[in-house]
Amino acid sequence: MDKFAVLQFYALLKREVLEHRNIFIGAPVVVALLLLVATIWVAMQIDQSQLAEGLLFVSVLFDGLSPFDMAPFIMLLAIPFYLTLYVCSVIYLINTLYQDRKEMSVLFWQSMPVSNLQTVLSKIVAIVLVAPIFYVLIIFAMYLIAMVWLTILGISNDVDLVGIGYLFLAAIASLVLIYISAVVTGLWLLPSVGWLLLFSAFAKKTPLLWAAGVLILVGFLEDFIFGTQFLANWVASQTSDPNQYLIFEFQSVFERVFNYDTLFGIVVGSILIAGAVFMRRFTD
Amino acid sequence: MSNIVEAKSLRKNYGSFTALDGVDLTIPKGAISGLIGPNGAGKTTTLKALIGLCDVDGELSVVGRDPRISRHKLMEDVCFIADVGILPKWLKVSHVIDYVEAVHPRFDRKKAEKFLSTTDIPANKRIKDLSKGMVTQLHLALVMAIEVQLLVLDEPTLGLDIIYRKEFYDRLLNDFYDGNRTIIISTHQVEEIETLLSHLVFINKGKIVLDSSMSDLSDIYTEVLVDADKLEQADALQPIYVRKLLGKNSYTFESVPREQLKMLGELHTPSVADLFVAKLKEEKHG
Repeated sequence: MDKFAVLQFYALLKREVLEHRNIFIGAPVVVALLLLVATIWVAMQIDQSQLAEGLLFVSVLFDGLSPFDMAPFIMLLAIPFYLTLYVCSVIYLINTLYQDRKEMSVLFWQSMPVSNLQTVLSKIVAIVLVAPIFYVLIIFAMYLIAMVWLTILGISNDVDLVGIGYLFLAAIASLVLIYISAVVTGLWLLPSVGWLLLFSAFAKKTPLLWAAGVLILVGFLEDFIFGTQFLANWVASQTSDPNQYLIFEFQSVFERVFNYDTLFGIVVGSILIAGAVFMRRFTD
Repeated sequence: MSNIVEAKSLRKNYGSFTALDGVDLTIPKGAISGLIGPNGAGKTTTLKALIGLCDVDGELSVVGRDPRISRHKLMEDVCFIADVGILPKWLKVSHVIDYVEAVHPRFDRKKAEKFLSTTDIPANKRIKDLSKGMVTQLHLALVMAIEVQLLVLDEPTLGLDIIYRKEFYDRLLNDFYDGNRTIIISTHQVEEIETLLSHLVFINKGKIVLDSSMSDLSDIYTEVLVDADKLEQADALQPIYVRKLLGKNSYTFESVPREQLKMLGELHTPSVADLFVAKLKEEKHG
């Protein structure tokens, strides 16, 4: 790939971040602020001696332990971010191609020497690979603020925070796992990504209604004609198991990606994405 | 490549509505071509087809490429400004320039900035905060900084006041057009572009009703203010359009030698607007 093509793709990603600042940055910042405020408020409600005991417990808990062993516990703190990313991704994917047509800016984007494939791929890369980077950076900033606050609390309550360094390392390790989890989830949910993009490119109005409606209709027809519920079961298996979304250890990445279900999903997702690229040709 | 656009039998339907009904179109390289037609005539569909933004049936070649197959490659040689403010409203002016610089291999940032420095457009403002005139100026600045062979303009000055409209066309001629580049303009304000055009295309109900160079027009079409006592003779020569003008009778003829007409009264070459009305009335009445 030549240098210009790389810079071109970078510009497409930058465009996505600029256009959807609220999804990439605004939403996780709000979640981080809410969590910090809630934590500080809870700490203020606790008695000084209990707080000191709690600080000591947290500090000692992580002392001397491997950061990656403890990272899964810290990951649980990131669940609100995970849910936010999930909801934001659905909003982003269903609106991104539709919005261009709605506000007619599609005529500008398509008047540039950028292919529909590049455009659609940039949107997938933006939400699957780039958005989690922003989320992880914001979680990192939140952890930093929390560490400083804990340290101040420790000093002011005369508590020796012996294990706080380990706690911080475990937090950093959890960020790596959070990012990997988000990306692997993106691959796992590629059929959903493709489905939403397809209707974002296709629908003249209410793309979410179209995406949900057609899915329900196809499932109903399958049941009515063949008497089977393959689609319904498959969608349920894709979306209902929370274990699919979190990876607590590096060793499980390979088996999560290279298994029949994920690879089948990647194939289905790719076909749906190809459909979205095709539909993107039509601007009216 | 002497023709920048070659289209044959272009057809396009939107449901039961026929937008293009066998359009044949040839636009020579270096022409400034006006695509004129009433609302719903198929102007925008034709222009969109030329740049691969809508699927049409038929043969089509623009700058030697088929827009339906390689739009993104074609857009390295073609620029487009549409009738609606199509620049994304959420972008800042500086972001638009950054974007075009990054994705267009033939964009000259310095040229665009030089052009913008002659306007009141601030780099840090969002598009949504600019007036329509400014948005059009910005778009023109971007387009003029791109080394392209063909510029397609779809009602580019729609909704602009007279000052912006005049400035737009002045800039286009002075800073963009160099004799080798080709411009296709679709507009309702025919009078404003009449003097710029080297080529004229009329479209009505999805069909091309006139496709001619401006220099040929005066040879083909003649308007005669017919003397009151020569009306019968004028009628016998089968005018394509007749109207009353300041108490006189104005007859428009097609392919009737001027020698034959000069005895009827005062001869003129019809304006584009008059010719447009004449051709449309002719279509209507068969």
